[in-house]
Amino acid sequence: MTDDPAAPPTPEPILECRSIQKRFPGVVALADVSLVIGRGRIHALLGQNGAGKSTLVKILTGVYQHDGGEILVAGQPVRMASPRDAEAAGIAIVHQDQQLVEQLDVTSNVFLGYEETTRGGLLDVAAMRAKTRVALDRVGASFTPDTLVRDLSVAERALVSIAAAVMRDPRILVLDEPTASLSEKEAELLFHVVRSLRDAGTTIIYISHYLDEVLDLVDDITELRDGRLIATLPAAGISRADVVGMMIGREISQFFPKETIEIGEPLLEIRGLSQGTMVRGVDLTIRRGEIFGLAGLIGAGRSELAMTLIGALPRSSGTVTVAGRPSSPSDPRAAKRQGFALIPEDRRNEGLITAMTMRDNLTLPEIARWSRFGVLNLGQEREDANDLVRRLAIQPPNIRQLARNLSGGNQQKVVIGRWLAGDAEVFLFDEPTTGVDVGSKVEIYRQMTELARRGAAVILISSDFQEIAGMCDRAAVMHKGRINVVLERDRLDPETLLYWASGSDVATAAPTAAGKPNQPPEALERQTARSHAQTWMRWGTIGGMVLVLAIIAMLAPQFLAPGNIFDILKQGSVLAFIAIGLTVVLIAGGFDMSAGAISQLTTNLAAGALIAGQGSVVAIAAGVATGAGLGVVNALLVLVFGMPAFVATLGTMFVVMGATLFYNGGQALTLANQPDFFFIGQGYVGPIPFVFLLLVALTFVLHIVLRKTRLGLRMYAVGQNTIAAELRGIARGRYALASFVVGGVVLGFAGVVLASYSYGASALATGIDFLISALAAAFLGSTLSRAGELSVIGTAFTALFLASLSNGLILIGISNQALPGIQGIVLILSIVLGVIRRRDIGQVLIF
Amino acid sequence: MTATTTQNLVTERITGFLRDYGALLGMLIVLLIVGALKPSFLSTSNLTNVLRQSTILIMLSLGLTIVMSMRGVDLSIAQIADAAGLMAAMLILHGQPAWMALIVPVVFGLGVGAINGALMAYLGVPAIIGTLGMMFVIRSGELLATNGAEPQMLFTLPRAITKSFLFLGQGYIGPVSALVVLAAVVVMLAAVLMHLTPFARRAHAVGANVRAAFLAGIDIRGVFGLGYVVAGVFAAIAGVALVSRTGIAVPRGAEPYLLDAFAAAYLGTLASRHGDMNVGGTLIGALFIAFLGNGLTILGLGAPYRYTLNGAFILLAMAVGALKRKS
Repeated sequence: MTDDPAAPPTPEPILECRSIQKRFPGVVALADVSLVIGRGRIHALLGQNGAGKSTLVKILTGVYQHDGGEILVAGQPVRMASPRDAEAAGIAIVHQDQQLVEQLDVTSNVFLGYEETTRGGLLDVAAMRAKTRVALDRVGASFTPDTLVRDLSVAERALVSIAAAVMRDPRILVLDEPTASLSEKEAELLFHVVRSLRDAGTTIIYISHYLDEVLDLVDDITELRDGRLIATLPAAGISRADVVGMMIGREISQFFPKETIEIGEPLLEIRGLSQGTMVRGVDLTIRRGEIFGLAGLIGAGRSELAMTLIGALPRSSGTVTVAGRPSSPSDPRAAKRQGFALIPEDRRNEGLITAMTMRDNLTLPEIARWSRFGVLNLGQEREDANDLVRRLAIQPPNIRQLARNLSGGNQQKVVIGRWLAGDAEVFLFDEPTTGVDVGSKVEIYRQMTELARRGAAVILISSDFQEIAGMCDRAAVMHKGRINVVLERDRLDPETLLYWASGSDVATAAPTAAGKPNQPPEALERQTARSHAQTWMRWGTIGGMVLVLAIIAMLAPQFLAPGNIFDILKQGSVLAFIAIGLTVVLIAGGFDMSAGAISQLTTNLAAGALIAGQGSVVAIAAGVATGAGLGVVNALLVLVFGMPAFVATLGTMFVVMGATLFYNGGQALTLANQPDFFFIGQGYVGPIPFVFLLLVALTFVLHIVLRKTRLGLRMYAVGQNTIAAELRGIARGRYALASFVVGGVVLGFAGVVLASYSYGASALATGIDFLISALAAAFLGSTLSRAGELSVIGTAFTALFLASLSNGLILIGISNQALPGIQGIVLILSIVLGVIRRRDIGQVLIF
Repeated sequence: MTATTTQNLVTERITGFLRDYGALLGMLIVLLIVGALKPSFLSTSNLTNVLRQSTILIMLSLGLTIVMSMRGVDLSIAQIADAAGLMAAMLILHGQPAWMALIVPVVFGLGVGAINGALMAYLGVPAIIGTLGMMFVIRSGELLATNGAEPQMLFTLPRAITKSFLFLGQGYIGPVSALVVLAAVVVMLAAVLMHLTPFARRAHAVGANVRAAFLAGIDIRGVFGLGYVVAGVFAAIAGVALVSRTGIAVPRGAEPYLLDAFAAAYLGTLASRHGDMNVGGTLIGALFIAFLGNGLTILGLGAPYRYTLNGAFILLAMAVGALKRKS
């Protein structure tokens, strides 16, 4: 193949690959691929799924290492052992659907991992903003550098990713499917950006499935097929049909056990079905006995269509009927009752429960069938499961085997088999034969045929166009959420399918253009709604707090007396210290059950040190050092042993509580005559409590560290989106450790303050009591910040509010016994505000 | 050649045995050491006494196990038990019949469990936060009801009034303590619920892969929420049994059981091949924790040892579980 590349399209190559080879166990991903990319050109890499495009890109960006051949950048051989090496060689990549940290602003996202600092070690925000503005201008973005990424549309986020790549002035910029989730108008804007980057001298490697776009945009194309180079040619004068011909090739035809089955009356009718931007106005009629193909490329909206039909994604508009009855399931359970059965694309994560046995998986959806008076008839269940196993020809037929240990083909058969026991009539097969051996493939096709024979409607979603052509009676081709064409059996062949999947024709472009204006406003509306909700929540919380305090002040005028206010500041500051320590851990470390217990231990240690006559400095040092040490212990348990933060810190909490009791022997450690030490928690500077000044100082310092330094920015990034952080070379471990240690230091110090405030340490080990107030302060405080993220200032404010609330409630005559309950309610409410729109259940990592 | 293979086979079987039963063996050895140090620990009267005491922890930790098998957490169970016991005592003190003192607290546990279920399963509040909040709400209720933690003493009442209520905790059915019979019934219920019902399969699926369970058409919210209801009911039964056994309800008296229940549930994962939460394991874990607690007391080692050891057990069980899953 390599003896036939067209003459290098430009005289000056910027990137040259010579005989690149890459093998994975059992697969040759790239066999002897050589290509030349000219400087200042837009060069497309084309090929079907599995052709080797992404492997090649991963080698070029240092993610994989090639097994043979060499790479030259601007004539110099380079060796790329990591993404950093690729960057040093001037190669930058924008991944498909690149991950960004939503709660951070555009500037922080653009510079994450490459932050610029002033000489004092602080982030040089002004300089970074200015540079970001320039980069945004270069990519034609209209939003400002301080916009939160959360408030941007998908298209705008793509621009942020490109701006971040452009920022580093790469010689070669790799764009991986940049238009996959963009509307046509947004894509058009992006092409403009890509062209202007090329005109400014950047070489672009462009990967896309959308051939019509590609042919308009690029200068050269390289075709790959099955890990081999087919050709590198200039794009001028090439038609979509030519490209499709090269991509498909002449493959050995596979055996498809297609049988002719009489087609019955319409069973599933879909009219104008839409789901956000992924499915747009789909009309289909599918009949009994029919195997209906749904062809298209990844991201075309086929899986989303299936998920919408079974109610796993909310429907934007449209109607569906099954056998004449309207169907609008609210969840897959309702869809199951209406006769839908889904065989999901990702069978290991969405199809099977891999930790359960084959029998458990087979009978799961209809398990109630085997129960009488609420108790399972295990014998009958086993018999029926064995029947299913025989019917599906699963070998070996051991129903007690864990699904995890089954072969890919058997796993898929189990997912199919579990719907055979029910009354499903509409079967949605989403990519059922990927990663399945040939024998199992044929078995799966036979099952589909069998279902059709029984009068079911079978929908086959597949990116394997041979399979669609071989098995289906009719097929629709989806492209960017729409049905491009419906093809009858006599017109089903891989070329035609790929032709329609890779672009739309002029004829269908017209309604596309008409439908388009609806889309951006819709998306915009959603974001504004979200942004409004955040603003509403922020000011609603603040308003609520003010209102509560105003009511208290009205009922108990002495609440606002200066003496009382200073008292509140004193009380609140002690709580605020603990809450701030917890907040720092929550930002990047996960969770900390041990926060209160750590403070309690250091309270005792500080009191003990003073009783032993060692002075305030030793007391403080002992507290801080112990806090830091326990932070390290927590971090080790989480990072080295891989325990979920909840369990690790729960264990630590109990051990620390035990240690506290060992230390104080179950006795209160009471301090007296320690004026120096008591000044920390009880002294006044003028009229102002010293502890409050200390709190202000600590909050300020931590705020600077968290918001204005590289460390803080990365702690937030790790806590909010580990994947995005790791793409920028930021390792979770280091920043989670920092979070636990800094948090531990604050918690340790908080204990010392508590010892000073309360004349020593009480006898009880009530580590969990502080936890609730601290959690309430942290989570309620998070609603005060612009992006709804945890912040030390918000926490400090809320801690003072909670102290005022307790103080005020007692003043107006409410028993202090009600206070814990009120804090509990505040905690739950502050969380409910944040989670109410997410559709998850409250599971936590406990193993 | 054959010698080495037999040897390998033997080593393999030994490691296999240790993997499956090592934890159990370890627990037994610890208790035997305590017995060797203080023979009175192994006396029949002490053993039967501790068995009766352990029933409270068993019932409490089984509820926690059911919730945790679905990757939930319930920090409010000890407080539910506490409040339920208090309620029972107050009803008796206010002259209500024994059946009221048994039924009302259990209905209370059911109600709290239902609220927990609604918060975690339907509103999506993270379980740690939601149940921690609930714990404090109940605690406040208790403090207000008892005017700041005044103990509610039943043993001061005439025997005739309390007799039928105290039977649950102090009486005998034939030679067997009523409390042990009650616990056995609860264990049976939990075992049937978690092994032989449609709920068992659904709960297992929700715990193992909630997304796949959802797509298989399982009512994940209902299943997850029901776990909290069961935990609430079991906790309430445990609380009533505790007061019936001791004849006194001290507000916040049941709180230490929370720690023990966590340790029991996590130790129970050691008895499972894949390190999952399971009813049988929790039963063993709870028995071990109860006997160890008693042993420590006999040895003169108090609360600090208990806290530290329980914390260490949780971390140990997690570390061993991680190793099991790796191999």
